Amino acid sequence: MQAEQVQQDQLANDLSNASTPGYKSDTSVQQSFGSMLLANSATGQTIGSLQTGVGLSTPVVNTAAQPLQQTGQPLDFGVQGNGFFAVRTPQGVQYTRDGQFQSNAQGQLVDSNGDQVLSQSGAAITVSSAGTVPASSLGVFNITNVANAGNNLYSGTATGPGTGTVRQGELEGSSVNPETTMVAMITSLRTYQSGENAIQSIDGTMQESAQNVGSIGGG
Amino acid sequence: MLEGLYAAASGMGAQQQQFDAISNDLANVDTPGYQSEIVGFHDLLYSNGGYAGNVATGAGSEASVIGRSQTQGAIEQTGRSLDVAIQGNGYIEVRQADGTIGLTRNGALEMNAQGQLTSQGGDLLQPPVTIPKGVDPANVTIAPNGAVSSGGKQFGKIQLVTVPSPDNLTPVGNSMFSANAASGGISSATGATLQQGALDGSNVDMSQAMATMMTAQQSYSMDSSAIQDQDQMLEIANEIKP
Repeated sequence: MQAEQVQQDQLANDLSNASTPGYKSDTSVQQSFGSMLLANSATGQTIGSLQTGVGLSTPVVNTAAQPLQQTGQPLDFGVQGNGFFAVRTPQGVQYTRDGQFQSNAQGQLVDSNGDQVLSQSGAAITVSSAGTVPASSLGVFNITNVANAGNNLYSGTATGPGTGTVRQGELEGSSVNPETTMVAMITSLRTYQSGENAIQSIDGTMQESAQNVGSIGGG
Repeated sequence: MLEGLYAAASGMGAQQQQFDAISNDLANVDTPGYQSEIVGFHDLLYSNGGYAGNVATGAGSEASVIGRSQTQGAIEQTGRSLDVAIQGNGYIEVRQADGTIGLTRNGALEMNAQGQLTSQGGDLLQPPVTIPKGVDPANVTIAPNGAVSSGGKQFGKIQLVTVPSPDNLTPVGNSMFSANAASGGISSATGATLQQGALDGSNVDMSQAMATMMTAQQSYSMDSSAIQDQDQMLEIANEIKP
């Protein structure tokens, strides 16, 4: 049941971010706990194995590239294919697929949090007086160990340039698919309900044994 | 569990921001020089949420107006000699009633009783341009570089200016903006020109605005169903009784 709660929380977060550019949905992979082998404690005879339920492993960020949407804004950029933009944040260099950039008071290209966008060589990028930046000046990096850091940013390790190409005047959409997310929410809700039913029936069995086992013979 | 409730609620709040911006845009489809608002969405912090193990759940999303669309609005021909359309990135600089400098893209200029050119709201152009007595405003020529003249005599020049970060200008109403620390200082605009007898139309794209509004509405109702789902789960959990 707890596994389903986590799933519901993540699905709600996904739906909440259906409009966030470059958002990548996350999924907690459910895995079974190790099963226990039951044995008779007196004779050592094996009785059988017992499953202990379902647990959750580290969430996996779905990094698949999403279709780019035309915005026509000169400082909107999208990566077509694989790769992330790099930005210099107070927490060090982080990565994003949200290319909704703007220029700051110093005329440098920054993201919507005000963090400098970096070129392939890791330098800041200057916006021309006409308010444009050539798409080729933005760095695209291939990232491993991608983890959500909030604010449309990801932490990870850069392993050289990404294979994607930068497109100007376009933004990547959110990877949240509303239909599948809604269906997953309902499925998860029902699984949660069956978990509750299982608890109740086990409770029933235990109640039966508590009430009746001692009264054998006594009628 | 409750994280999910709040994540969905924050999504509703973010979509509400989008609604507010679109409503403002739609109200200004006919405002000369109006630049549509851009709403930026981003996700919030990720936390463990009190669950065992290496689990992370997000706290939802947030949205705010992060700037103004810099696309060129449609140039509308008006034929009026004191109407100027700004082509390219630039603003007309005026001195507002309170003495501070204002920037506007609304080029529907007017002439006051002293013959000085003003913005539509009556704020003097900066630097001032005065049309001498006896000169009919209808015969005034405004060149692409801003030079104001009549019969070969130049009276002054309309200066086009810009700032390094137009997205951060403070809107002060009346199609007027003011510069601040985040937008950077005012400098003359290179590449922007004036076109006389025309106005720079609002750059609100109606079809785009309607499409965004529908998307926002659907997202809003999906967030609301997510809240209902979460509520139902809490109800199920409450059914467990001894």
